[in-house]
Amino acid sequence: MALPLPPGLTPSEMAFLCEMELVTVIPRQRLEGLELLGGPTQPLNPPFPAPLPLWLALLLKRQRRANIRTPPWLRPDSLAAILEFETDTAKEAFSPPPNLPPPTTTSLHVDQTTAYLPATATTLELSPPFLQNSTTSAPPDALPYHWLELSQLLLAAAPDDFEDPDSVRRLLRDLREVRMAKLRKGIEVLDAGAGIKMNGVGGMEIAESRAFIGGVVDGLRYVPSMRSMELWGGGGGGSLCGTE
Amino acid sequence: MDDDIADILASVSAPALPVRTLDLQALTRAWVNERTAPELLPYPTDLVDRVMERIGKQISTIEAMSGTMDPQANFTLVILQTELERFKFLVRSFLRARIAKIDTYALHYATLPSQLSPLERQYLQSHQSLISIHYSTSFLSTFPTSLQKLDDTAGGISMVDKPDEDAAVFCRVLKDTGNVEIQGISEVAEIEMKRGDVRVLRWSAVKEAVERGDVELI
Repeated sequence: MALPLPPGLTPSEMAFLCEMELVTVIPRQRLEGLELLGGPTQPLNPPFPAPLPLWLALLLKRQRRANIRTPPWLRPDSLAAILEFETDTAKEAFSPPPNLPPPTTTSLHVDQTTAYLPATATTLELSPPFLQNSTTSAPPDALPYHWLELSQLLLAAAPDDFEDPDSVRRLLRDLREVRMAKLRKGIEVLDAGAGIKMNGVGGMEIAESRAFIGGVVDGLRYVPSMRSMELWGGGGGGSLCGTE
Repeated sequence: MDDDIADILASVSAPALPVRTLDLQALTRAWVNERTAPELLPYPTDLVDRVMERIGKQISTIEAMSGTMDPQANFTLVILQTELERFKFLVRSFLRARIAKIDTYALHYATLPSQLSPLERQYLQSHQSLISIHYSTSFLSTFPTSLQKLDDTAGGISMVDKPDEDAAVFCRVLKDTGNVEIQGISEVAEIEMKRGDVRVLRWSAVKEAVERGDVELI
């Protein structure tokens, strides 16, 4: 089979996507600027920090050529503040994500035959993982889209770069539980037309619950037709979750 | 007034990203969209051509560098090769997702050749002919002539499988696109899409917005 996976990204693909996020790296060895396929990288001159994609940062860290500076939102105090916000202030919705940059306003609408823009692209909107939400200039009070996988990768590869990895792990676990509970509660308000707003939800959380939520929404589509079958005495209506 | 000033400042202060980075963002978005959407999206010919050209040049750079065994260059080589593998994975997974959809709904996409690239059209034709030859030699030739068609649309039910256009998809709104109509259980409602919203919607409701680039699937 060309691709036996169901529609939607698997958690490992979500982690692959997360590895394209930029993080701030403090080099220990010089490295000249490289011309990568995804764009040029800054030359590394210790001890000046430089932004690099996470996959490259992890490679350098494993070879002990650099240290990774944890993003501002991954510190115990920021995580504690976000956790408090999630439990006390925003009981239904998730905590808001970092603000998106202002939409690109240059409107050179070149005649394009495809949706993915030609070489003169300045109107391509950036979205995670290209939003610079994990460098040291990121806001410390918002969880970016790839928070879960980014924090797991950093804790696994660079625990010595954290001041207090155990409390970070504990807070991350608590955050994850609170958010998953909110997702589960949100199932109750799902409708066949859907359209529920879930701003601030994380990428891995979507990857994990995509099958279930998608299945529920697709199943709910059949409820009206099941209801009409019930009128005729068909017994199939009870097998779905609709309890009208 | 304040919004305009903020926009002007943002466009002046933020450095313009190189085309390669924008292409990576576009390729990533194309990959995620193709993996998530139930239907085949239009083929981004220019993007894939540019990316393949760069990959080819990078492969020749790497081969040229593999000649010298200088340890510093060795490490640069490792980095370049790692990144090349990542790019190749993206392109391959993208193409595989498309081929999987073509395989499943072959007869349907045979009528919509504009969504496919020339290579995909060739693949579809040879795939179709192989399958029909296989079917007719195994059992179809023993059927009565009126029942031998594979794309029969008579009798109310079409034999051609269409992809499920109302499947649920998760999407993020990139530009304020105004209202979108959604079909609830009993009523039709309209919701407004503002930049940054993450929603679960039917594919048919966001299809046009995704093809325009205003909404991306996640």
